[in-house]
Amino acid sequence: MAGQLGLEIGIMGGLLAVTAYYVIAARDLVYASVALALLGSLNAALIALLGYPIVAAFVVIVYVGAAVMFIIITISMLGGGGQEKREEFRGMFTSLALASTAFTVAVLSGIYLAYKPPNTYSISQISQVLAGRYLPALGVVFIALAATLVEAITIARRAE
Amino acid sequence: MNAEALSAEVFVIGLTLAAIGAYGVASTRNLLRILLSIEVIFNSVLLLFVAALSALPALSAAFSIFLVSVVSAEVIVVVAVLVAYYRVARSFDSTSLEEGGV
Repeated sequence: MAGQLGLEIGIMGGLLAVTAYYVIAARDLVYASVALALLGSLNAALIALLGYPIVAAFVVIVYVGAAVMFIIITISMLGGGGQEKREEFRGMFTSLALASTAFTVAVLSGIYLAYKPPNTYSISQISQVLAGRYLPALGVVFIALAATLVEAITIARRAE
Repeated sequence: MNAEALSAEVFVIGLTLAAIGAYGVASTRNLLRILLSIEVIFNSVLLLFVAALSALPALSAAFSIFLVSVVSAEVIVVVAVLVAYYRVARSFDSTSLEEGGV
């Protein structure tokens, strides 16, 4: 069972890496943003495989369904903004620096062994956590999201 | 495959995504491409976050929901800022920002 899960996670990881590379390498930004939606969906599938189907559903509905769609629509309307200049060396250097630092920290701290397949949990447990101990944080998120909406409308209308 | 190998596999996937995203952020000057690359890094962070807090599944799920909500709000604000910038600069190139604004 764990072997099959490992294979599925490996396949999903490969697909995620290919899609992520397409997001940053595609010449057309519309295709890149569509690939980002695919990346979010694949990530949700992987999270569901890890034992968190509720989080996966939330990612698909809120992140892919709202945020990424917003990006796709905006880029489709505005276009890509002209020819891109690439600085391959700087990107490669930053990428290697980040990966090696994170790898060293993870090996030294042992955090790469943190994942254990979760025991069964229900949506009522999550809602107890959200509406119990973290209710103030939930309230702050609601206020922040409402403020964000107003802020975004204000910024977008400013030049009119 | 045991739980430790599974855990390491998830970690490697997350780290690979973060590295690809960092490459995207550092290698281009197009602000929209930078936003897309940051979103790749966010996907990596979400994956690693879920895996790292898996000892407390309900807490992990609740925090992930917070994370997705906040990032979705951030995306909307950043896109609004980029639209406002595009109206002024007629481009998404970040060079003019580095030179002191448009």
